[in-house]
Amino acid sequence: METKVNTACETCSHFNKEGLKKLGIQTDNFDFVVALAGNPNTGKSTVFNALTGLRQHTGNWPGKTVMRAEGGFEYNTDKYKLVDLPGTYSLLSTSEDEATARDFILFGKPDVTIIVVDANRLERNLNLVLQILEITDKAVLCLNLMDEAKRNKVEIDVRTLSKDLGIPVVPASARFNQGIPELIQTVSEIASGQIVCKPHRIKNVPENIEKAVKTLTAEIEKEFPNIPNSRWIAFRLLEGDKEIIKALKSGEFV
Amino acid sequence: MNNYNPISALVIFFIIVGLLYVFFRPVKGWFWLLKKNFRSNEKVIIEDVLKQLYHFEYSENKVDMKTLVQVLDFNNGRIVEAIKKMTINDLIYFESDILKLTEKGRDYALRIVRVHRLWERYLADKTGFHKNEWHDRAESMEHKLSHDDAEELSAQLGNPKFDPHGDPIPTRTGKMAQVNGVELPRLAVGAVGRITHIEDEPDIIYKQILAENIHIGSLLKVIENNSTRIVFRSEGEEFKLAPIVAANLTVAVIEKEIVIEDNIARLSSLTEHETAKIIGISRESRGESRRRLLDLGFVKGSTVSIDLVNPLGQPNAYLIKGTSIALRNDQAAKILIKKD
Amino acid sequence: MKENNIENIIELSNELRWQIGDEFHDNLTEGIYADAADIVKDTVKTSDSEKRFRLDAKIDKIVTSKYFGFPIMFLILGTVLWLTIIGANYPSSLLATLFLDTIHPLLQSGAESINMPWWLAGFLIDGVYLAVAWVIAVMLPPMAIFFPMFTLLEDFGYLPRVAFNLDALFNKSGAHGKQALTMSMGFGCNAAGVVATRIIDSPRERLIAIITNNFSLCNGRWPTQILIATIFIGAVVPESMSSFASLLAVIGIAVLGMAFMFGVSWALSKTVLKGEVSTFNLELPPYRPPRFWKTIYTSLIDRTLIVLWRAIVFAAPAGAVIWLISNLHIGDETIAAWLINSMDGFGFLIGLNGVILLAYIVAIPANEIVIPTILMLTVMVTGIGGGAGAGVMFELDSINATGDILKAGGWTLLTAINLMLFSLLHNPCSTTIYTIYKETNSAKWTAVASIMPVILGFIVCFLVAQFWRLIF
Repeated sequence: METKVNTACETCSHFNKEGLKKLGIQTDNFDFVVALAGNPNTGKSTVFNALTGLRQHTGNWPGKTVMRAEGGFEYNTDKYKLVDLPGTYSLLSTSEDEATARDFILFGKPDVTIIVVDANRLERNLNLVLQILEITDKAVLCLNLMDEAKRNKVEIDVRTLSKDLGIPVVPASARFNQGIPELIQTVSEIASGQIVCKPHRIKNVPENIEKAVKTLTAEIEKEFPNIPNSRWIAFRLLEGDKEIIKALKSGEFV
Repeated sequence: MNNYNPISALVIFFIIVGLLYVFFRPVKGWFWLLKKNFRSNEKVIIEDVLKQLYHFEYSENKVDMKTLVQVLDFNNGRIVEAIKKMTINDLIYFESDILKLTEKGRDYALRIVRVHRLWERYLADKTGFHKNEWHDRAESMEHKLSHDDAEELSAQLGNPKFDPHGDPIPTRTGKMAQVNGVELPRLAVGAVGRITHIEDEPDIIYKQILAENIHIGSLLKVIENNSTRIVFRSEGEEFKLAPIVAANLTVAVIEKEIVIEDNIARLSSLTEHETAKIIGISRESRGESRRRLLDLGFVKGSTVSIDLVNPLGQPNAYLIKGTSIALRNDQAAKILIKKD
Repeated sequence: MKENNIENIIELSNELRWQIGDEFHDNLTEGIYADAADIVKDTVKTSDSEKRFRLDAKIDKIVTSKYFGFPIMFLILGTVLWLTIIGANYPSSLLATLFLDTIHPLLQSGAESINMPWWLAGFLIDGVYLAVAWVIAVMLPPMAIFFPMFTLLEDFGYLPRVAFNLDALFNKSGAHGKQALTMSMGFGCNAAGVVATRIIDSPRERLIAIITNNFSLCNGRWPTQILIATIFIGAVVPESMSSFASLLAVIGIAVLGMAFMFGVSWALSKTVLKGEVSTFNLELPPYRPPRFWKTIYTSLIDRTLIVLWRAIVFAAPAGAVIWLISNLHIGDETIAAWLINSMDGFGFLIGLNGVILLAYIVAIPANEIVIPTILMLTVMVTGIGGGAGAGVMFELDSINATGDILKAGGWTLLTAINLMLFSLLHNPCSTTIYTIYKETNSAKWTAVASIMPVILGFIVCFLVAQFWRLIF
């Protein structure tokens, strides 16, 4: 596999192999929280297992992980707690899985969010990616299943993708542990603030909605300056999301 | 112990089963009838009278005591009793023998209508009840929800404008969106329009429309219109309705000569080796199902083709955005496509 | 002040929402996908766009074809089930010999040598230990065989195709095609089947699958069915046919269970569950070669051991109860005898007897210990020889000897048939009930799932008994 080391982040310092310790289910005294999100059936659990050394069951069957699984790893003396969110196609609906994933990214304020996508089905997966990027600006895209993509003759211009999305993109084949060191390195650099992301914001929104969103966003920012996801909150308010209304009232965003 | 008679055991068993059936069978079981009778108290009668008067007023019909008693399913004496009380409480007044709503009465009526339509919206979006049950359930719910409950429900549903039949939901302040359109039989041959409302009363006609699989929000084009039948094309299929049935459909005429593409079809009509572009999802697909379809990539402009044909006829698997997704035929019928 | 501002924001959002209308969600999703398409256009190059790879398509064509689809499916699932039942026999008897014939006497003599009081030794060794040992011996081998095989099929990606093929059947009874899989999983263990319903993402269909999973004859019940069929059904036909007839009877019961599953699913979806949200979608993921050893390892850890642990936790107190009721006395009768006498009338009415009913009550924790309990209780109430003492469950190596005990207990062909029916149609074991509660988080649905099958069992057994007595 030659594609594997073409990491998008050019400033990446070299991966320090000695610095990695897989901690399994020990998640005490962590320094950073890392969320793991992605569509069903993208090998998200495989990435989780590769990072933590755990062996969570990973069925080839959409929607396996329903409950939140947690694990940990240590890299360069920093301890990371990894939270595996349920695999979902979107974060806009009302199902239990989606609410779990959505609330964790929004209220759990993870230090880094790893978004696992299937390189063969990038377009479908981007639906979720673009939504997550509205919520958090500390994210890395893990372009998983590169081995299959290669077999299917799917070529991805990782640098352009990274530029378009405004976040680092790491190609990987988690089944064969390829790309995982680069992923860990990138995660640590985002967590420590060495990489600052400028995530893509959804553009193709009809005019009348964009206008409403702008009005609402302005009001929200007046009330909560420095909030990174005022636009997402506006989206959710327009959907009538009760959780968001409750959180606004209790001031959870401050 | 061994000398009992199996026949008598069986007889007793079947008597018990029979009794249970008589008591608890759906709708007509004695238990339900008793329960219904029990709850038709004065409040319910008053609210139903107000609602009826409001509907008559909305459709610009006049109503006297006799008509009112006919449309309501209560004991006549109790209705008269209720009317008396309502006049005293300044909810209605008589203009000679015509019943009219006072301002206060209209407010009250609008609140009932609001709860009814909100509840139908709720049933449509958040539950799995079949649409021919919505009306009856909302009929009983409209007397139970308080003003505050209705507010919360409305917020939870995202303050919808219309109920699932296309009727406008009054806002808290009594504001209502406009329903555009005319009754289908008043459309000329060749006219193009969009179905904006399907009347759910009387029940018999509504069920007939449901059976025809006509969806709210569909574009249609009138092909034939005379006193015996109205024929129109919609979503690649042809429908024939009696004028009395068609009158329950409200259609907004589209003036601009927009192309009602003749090759708009339902995804269920796609055959193997054909590809198509998705035009949209019919309004008939609601709530969770609709969102799921959108999330899976069945959005405007996506290319779709059949990936696998099911050995039992359905569900077929469709290839959409690089993934194979199986949908049942009734779902596929609500996705509109244009074949390539 | 601040609160006021927030109220204003919410008020503003309501107003704006009303202005942009009901199409917001649609428009937003379309917008996101349009963005996605733009990005992909710049970054992804495919030689053969939108086509799935050819090997996948080829496999799919075969496994979902009109002519081969179903035979392949039955062949695969049948093989898995057959391997489980046959393959589990040997390790099961090995474990039984070890736990019951070797360790149990050792423990007993050990207790004697340290002068443990008889009641404590009986309670711990004959009650708790024996129940746990039994559950492990009967339950572990089939699960250790079934789950890895099933998981391999799952990881390969074949199971979604089964759901795809069968969905039309399940749709007719208001259920989801994926229920075919949770049902198959139920043949291994109902508790695992209930957990597996997580793959069904539509609330109504998931509840249906949970409530009806008990109609899949689980591993704990297969041995009972086979034993009783061999003793009683095999005996009424000519000897050359007997094993065939008893096999047919057991399969008949399993098929009857599926019929009940469809019927009850239909009834539930039309009545109590009709208000639950129902959606359908089924993704057919690409095939992926499973990683054999890893899969075996994880399926053992995740499924087998967890379920086994739960079963043990429930079986231990059951063993204690069984020992206690046979050794504590009310007046000059044991509690067990008293319970049996008081239930005998009702038991007779539905073609069973008090012993069977009591055995099913105390053996709620695990179906595996039903037969040993029945044998122990029968020996106790009839006072015939054999057995290992009050409260000590046992099983005999010889099928004929087992039959003799049961016949001495007053069993007829009717009792046997009704026991087989009741073994299919009774409350789920307590492990499953607990799992249902954990999965649904609802006492109501747990109660429905627990009580409904028993009532069905009573009705079916009652009707069979009356008609049997009328005819014969």
